Formats: sequence, structure tokens, C-alpha cells
Amino acid sequence: MQLFYSLHPFQSAVDEGFWHRLSSLKLNKFGIDESPIPITGFYAPCSHSQVSNHLTLLAESLPPEPSEQSLVTMSSRGNRNKCSIPGILYNTNTLEGFHALDKQSLLKAEAEKVWEDIHSGKAEEDSAVLSRFLLISFADLKKWSFHYWFAFPALVLDPPATLVDLRPASQWLSLEEAESLSAACNEWRSSSATTDVPFFLVSLLLQIHMLLLSNLKDWESCQNDGHKFLFGFYDPCHLPNNPGWPLRNLLALICSRWKLEKVYFFCYRENRGFADLSLSLIGEALISVSQGFLEYINNICLGWKDHQHMPYAVGWEFNRGKKVPRCISLAKSMDPTRLAISAADLNLKTYEMACFTIFEPKHLMSAAKCLLLGAGTLGCQVARMLMAWGVRKITLVDSGKVAMSNPLRQSLYTLDNCLNGGDFKATASVKSLQRIFPAVEAEGVVMAIPMPGQPMPTQQEDSVLEDCRRLQDLIEIVMMFFLVMRHGAGPISIGNDVKADGVNNLSVEMGNFSLMDGDRVQRLGCYFCNDVVAPIDSTANRTLDQQCTVTRPGLAPIASALAVELLVGILHHPHGIHAKAEFANSTDSGRAEQPLGILPHQVRGSLSQFSQMTLVGHSSNSCTACSCTVVSEYRERGMGFVLQAINHPTYLEDLTGLTELMKSTNSFQLDWDNEIDDDDDCVEI
Amino acid sequence: MMVSSRPDFDILTWDGTVSPGDFRVVALDFAEKWKRFNTTTIPQWSWVPCSKRPWIVAHQENQDASSQIGKEEPNWSGQDDAIDNATLVQSCGHETHCYDFHIVYSSSYRVPVLYFRAYCSDGQPLDLDDIEKDLPANAAKVLTESKWTFITQEEHPYLSRPWYTLHPCGTSEWMKLLLVTDASRAKGRAAFGKYLVSWLSVVGQEFLLDYSSDSFPYSHLTIEDFGEMVGRGQI
Repeated sequence: MQLFYSLHPFQSAVDEGFWHRLSSLKLNKFGIDESPIPITGFYAPCSHSQVSNHLTLLAESLPPEPSEQSLVTMSSRGNRNKCSIPGILYNTNTLEGFHALDKQSLLKAEAEKVWEDIHSGKAEEDSAVLSRFLLISFADLKKWSFHYWFAFPALVLDPPATLVDLRPASQWLSLEEAESLSAACNEWRSSSATTDVPFFLVSLLLQIHMLLLSNLKDWESCQNDGHKFLFGFYDPCHLPNNPGWPLRNLLALICSRWKLEKVYFFCYRENRGFADLSLSLIGEALISVSQGFLEYINNICLGWKDHQHMPYAVGWEFNRGKKVPRCISLAKSMDPTRLAISAADLNLKTYEMACFTIFEPKHLMSAAKCLLLGAGTLGCQVARMLMAWGVRKITLVDSGKVAMSNPLRQSLYTLDNCLNGGDFKATASVKSLQRIFPAVEAEGVVMAIPMPGQPMPTQQEDSVLEDCRRLQDLIEIVMMFFLVMRHGAGPISIGNDVKADGVNNLSVEMGNFSLMDGDRVQRLGCYFCNDVVAPIDSTANRTLDQQCTVTRPGLAPIASALAVELLVGILHHPHGIHAKAEFANSTDSGRAEQPLGILPHQVRGSLSQFSQMTLVGHSSNSCTACSCTVVSEYRERGMGFVLQAINHPTYLEDLTGLTELMKSTNSFQLDWDNEIDDDDDCVEI
Repeated sequence: MMVSSRPDFDILTWDGTVSPGDFRVVALDFAEKWKRFNTTTIPQWSWVPCSKRPWIVAHQENQDASSQIGKEEPNWSGQDDAIDNATLVQSCGHETHCYDFHIVYSSSYRVPVLYFRAYCSDGQPLDLDDIEKDLPANAAKVLTESKWTFITQEEHPYLSRPWYTLHPCGTSEWMKLLLVTDASRAKGRAAFGKYLVSWLSVVGQEFLLDYSSDSFPYSHLTIEDFGEMVGRGQI
């Protein structure tokens, strides 16, 4: 009885590297040129009883750069695991173009090449051409997705061949023959001259039960009586009842070149690098060649191209049982933004795991919204530190423009930002942050923070009020904010009491820095509690060396880094903003186990001493920023209060009784001078 | 073997690392032994010389996953193709996940490092969440919670693409633990000769690579065991 076996199609496997390289070639070399590209596929005989081997495309499947030409001749030569198969790639510029490709003619064109190689004799010289393949693709380089479809053209004979009697090679051969065949195959596979030749002849010398392998082109010279022949090929398929795809074109060759009607074939498969004759199959194919077909073959041999009787071809790859193209997305490994995000996340996670037992800083930090008032020396450093800690939402407020002296100290700016009058710091800093980490959600607000004691003309009142309201809105929505301006302004620090979870005040002057986080449960002092005077206009009437922007360059990075670390400490403390203040070198052991260490209230340092200390400041009832009087006035009168504070230089001091306090202290006859504004000492401003 | 004949090797003072030369020796030896290792279930490790610096050992493993992955299928305006009875058409019920593992020497940490990646049969890469689903429940838990093993994504030193890697910073510590406790069983030098095998028997189990056999002496120890050993004061 004649049985009919179906053949297992080739399966494609495209390594990521292929798409990377194609993208790079498309961008740098091919541009919009849609000409077909010659490529090379690689396959090897099946090496596993449960999994078929694939036709694989790697980065080196694509043509090399001209500069790499010499290196390629080495690597594109096959080895035992990589038989090279020629192929062609049609890559379109649009998805519509991809779908509009005439796949029938493309397949036909490739099949014709196989047919021609058979008739010219090339297929016997270089048998790999029997398995040539076609690939169509569309590389979407904006979304990093790749649509593709393989075709493995197989000539369908008319009438088709029938396969009978397929069984494991070990059952077909005698024990002696099987051993001989194994040895011959292993030798074929070990020799570099033949290891990547996927089609071969097996001569079975019947008398001596020996089997030899030779190239297809040696067919003529192998014709001897007493020999039986098997036509062998590297079979990628693992199935016990189905031969692999390469058999189809091999049969077409045998039929049209040597006109055999009964063919024994050998599906060569391996296990762990050696011939496996129980996995390999031997079978019989019956080819009945019609008269018309014979004539057709004769015509071709006479040099007439008769396309009417050319065997038609099949071979488009099935995708999960359906004849449709495939699509994969490589955004995660190719899109630079995504790569940056996943690298940052993993990096943070690595640190967390090293430090914490149960810890989810990723959520805390990436959910945090930070507002930075000031995008100068301190602001830039703080912003960078926040990003390093995984903070993604940062808003920067600054009215100024980048000046020529800025880039040296203000780490988000470069010379380009200074040209043409200078970019606004708020916008330039945001752009800079985005260049560092594209996924940052940064916003810049160009706005001046009105300072108390800087009276303004009436016509500006409305816009100033507008600014204050805007500021209020900004503060409302953030979790924490940093006052990193030249001199913190009163109205802002009131906001800390009303809303924010954490305020970090930072200041540097000359050789010292000071930072604190405001409003802790013990009514710890805010920045201004320790001020003897209320914040005033800091720019007027100051000599150059007293302007607080002139400091040792090292201070700003130190202070900013500490500020951010302090903030992170608050966020991760179980009590958050209400945590108790702690000191360094404290004997209080209760806190020793916290992963991030202690949580001080204030840190003050001096570069000239290379020293640093932790302090607690308590709140002052006369504070112009956080005392009850001020807060209640603000809550009651809102913007009216703010306006008054701005316009009247001593309003705040009068309100809180600071003026009184000053008067009463001045009435003492004590010598205060030694302790004030001593530049060399570690004294806060 | 070159290493074990070094007279000056003292396992008690050893810091857990290997030099580049020693790595090459143990790796080649490992690849060689692998060829003779009798197993059909674990795929093969092989040494891949690289033109720049020849320290890669690579292999591939297939993992059958039962999840049916629903993907958006593009619409093909069907042109009729030739009808063919001879093609075997299989509509797969399950998806195969392929894993590639590379062992690469790290010159900064002076230990072997495991790099890996996973992808579907059509080439779609899998990310960590998908990989974790493939691992046995215990291994997944250990990977995410252990202090000794954390996975980061790094650029593969030779292929220049992002691969996942088991971060090497704890390796020298637990390798020392591992081989020192074995010093009583075998001579110190012989223990060192099994460096790569020992390393792999611990690291490999995180990824379903079942190395439980006599040739892999430490496969019964998990990375968590080291934490305990440290806690119990066993160095």
C-alpha cells in the first residue's frame, strides 16, 4: 500500500542581533532604497529528539560593512553548527508596502532560481542553494517593531512524489551497516571541507556492508554495480514520522537531473554532536514523471526556457498554523529611552536589595513630586541627585537666565545655554534633565519669587499676586520642596507649614553650608527660626564677598547631596516628616538598625575644617516664617497678607514681635560683635 | 591540571576569586568534561573563543511554557497560495521559550558571571517578569528576595546588547564558603579544580538547570544556605 507522508517545513529563528544590524544598515547605509538584500541563513541537522532545529538568522547574516569585508570571509564560512544557506531579503519602507508585496511572484522568482541552479548543475556543486529562502520584512524604526515573513520555496513536482516506507535508519540497515554509516557520517561532520555541506550521496557497498559519503557532484563517478544509493541531507526536523523540508528540492533535483523513479533518501539527524541512527530516518520516494514533464526537462536541456511547465512552488511559513506574517517588538532592548529606564530601575533595585530587607523605594521615589525653587548651583545639583534616587517628577522654578559664569557651577547648563542672551534657567534645566534621563517628568516655571521687603509698583501687583497663587498651586501638589534660592523668602516657607510633607532648606555661604528639613513634630525650627532678622532683600547693599552666591565650589555639591539624602531618609522613615531628630554618634541605639542611618534635623558643615555636625533647632515663637501668628494671618487673609509682607520691609518683624525683641536686646550693654558674621568660623547665616 | 598542582594554593587564605589564567583552565576543563558527561536532558556547554578576549562559554536551552501568549496578529489581505498536501501544518498549543546562558569572566570581580536572556520561538524577547513565571516557585522567590542573588541588566561584554545577569558581587564570598567547607572532604587544591562545576551547581539551579548528580557535588546547597552558614558562624 502506498502511504503518504507530509514534510515538516523549515522553521525560522531570527536572533535579535539580525534586527539590530538591519536597523543600523537601514539608517546608515540603505536609507530608503528598497532593493533586495542578499542574506545568509544558518542551520544544522536536528540535534535533539524533541525539538526541531531552525533556520537561523544572525547579525552576520547581513552583508558586512565595507571595512569589515576581510573579517567576514572568515566568519561566514560555515562550521558544523552553521551550514550557510543563501537567501534574499526584501525590506520595505512602510507597513503598507510590506502588505502590498506580491508574494506569489516573489516566491516564484526564488523557486525559479532553485530550478535554474538544478539545471545548470550548480546545485550539485554547491548543494546549499537547494534550500535557498526568501524573507520579506518591514522594520519600524520608530516603534522598534519588526514585521516579517519567511518563505522556503519548495518545488512541487507534477505529479507529486509519494513517500513510502519511512522508518528509523537503525531499523532499515543491518547492525554492521549502521555502524559503518555512523562512522562515515561522523567523519563527514568532522572534516571542515564537508561539515557544512548539507546534501550528500551515501553509497552502500552491498558485498562488504560498507557505506561511504560523497558529494552530489560525484554522482556520475559513483555509478557502479553492486551499489545501492541513498540520498542524504541534513534534516532539521525531529519528528519520527515526517522528513524535513530540504527533501523536496532534493527530489526535484534527482528527478530532473538523473531521472530516477525510485529514490532512497536518508534524513540525517544527530544527538549531542554525533550521528543518531534511531533518530535519523530512511525512506523511499516514488517519482512518476509525466510525459509532459519529461518533454519539459528535455526542452530545458536544449536551452529553451519553458515556464509553462515549471513546477510551481509552495513555502510561505505558517505562524501558529496560519499563513500570516509575524511581528515582534524589540522596543525594550532597542529603544534607548526604554533601555535607560530599565537600567535605572534595575540599578536602584540592586542597591535596595543590598541595603534593605523589606523596602520599596522604587514606589516611594518614583511617586514623589518635588518642587525646586531655584535652578541655580544648588538647584541643579539637587535635581541630579533626586534623579539618581529615582525621583521622576521634578518642577523647577526660576526667573533667571543662564549667564556666562553659570555653567561651571550649575551642572545642568553648558555654554550653548548662555548664547544669545541666555536661555531661561527653568527651561534649560528641564531640557538638560531630559537629556540625562528621557523618562523624567520635568517641568520648568519661569517665575520670580517675590521677596518680602522688595516693594513693587502697584501696576505689578496683579502679576505678582498671580505668581504667588501659582506658587501656592505648585506647592499644593508636591510632596516636598527645596528652597534653593539665594535667600529663602518668607511667604514660601509658610507654605511648608500648611501643606508640604517635607521642606528642605539649603544655604551656602563662603566656606559653610547649612541645611535643614522643616517642621518636625517637636515643632523643630524652620530655616528662619534662627534668623535674627527676617529675610530681606538680599541683593542690595551687599559687598561682593558677602553675596551668598560666592562660595567655594565644593560646597554646593556637598550640601545638595546631603539635602537629598536627608530627604530620602525622611521619606523612608516610618514616621516620615514627624520623625524625631537624631544626632550623629548618638548612644540612642534604637535607631541604629534603620537601613539609611540616623535622621538629623539640621546639618551644618565647614569646608575649611572639613567638618560637619548635626544639630537640632527649636522653633521660635517670633519666627517670621513659621510662628503661629504668621501662619494664622496667612490663613485668614491669604494674598492680602502676602502683599503686605512684600511691600513693607518690616511688616513681618513687627507682626511677630521680632522688632520688639531686637529693641530689647539692643538695650543690653553686651559685646555681641565677636559672634556675628565671622567668616572663618562655623557660623550659620 | 595546572591549578591543582600549584603548591602555594592554600584554601584557607583564598579569597574566593580566580585569575584570568585559572579561569581559562577551569573553563576549558569544564567544557571538555561536559562532552563526556552522560546526560540527554541538559544541553551542552561549549567554549567559544572570541577574537578580542576568549572567555565565553555558551549554551542554549529550550523551555516549554504552557502559557498561550495572545498576540495581535497582523491582517494579511490573503492572496491565494498554491494548494499543497505535502506540508505538515502544526498549530501549536504551547509556546516554546528559549534561554541562552553565557558564562563570562569578569576581570573586575575576578569571578565567573552568568549572563542570560530569554525569547519566544519567533524572536520576541522575554522580560524578567516572564522569566520568573518560567522558574520553579522556590527559585523565583530566592531570586527576588535573596541578598546574594540579584539580577541586573547589563550590556553583554561581547555581544553589546542588554542581557540579564546574576550580579557577581557576592560570588567570591560564597565560593569561598563553598570550597572551604569542602576542604575537609577533599584536599584544598582539588576543591579548587572543581571551581566552575561547584559554581554552576549552585547558580544553575536558579534556572531549572538540574545538576543534581554526583558530578555536581553542591547542587543540594542553595544560595540561601550560605546565608544561614554565615549566620551560624561557619565562617
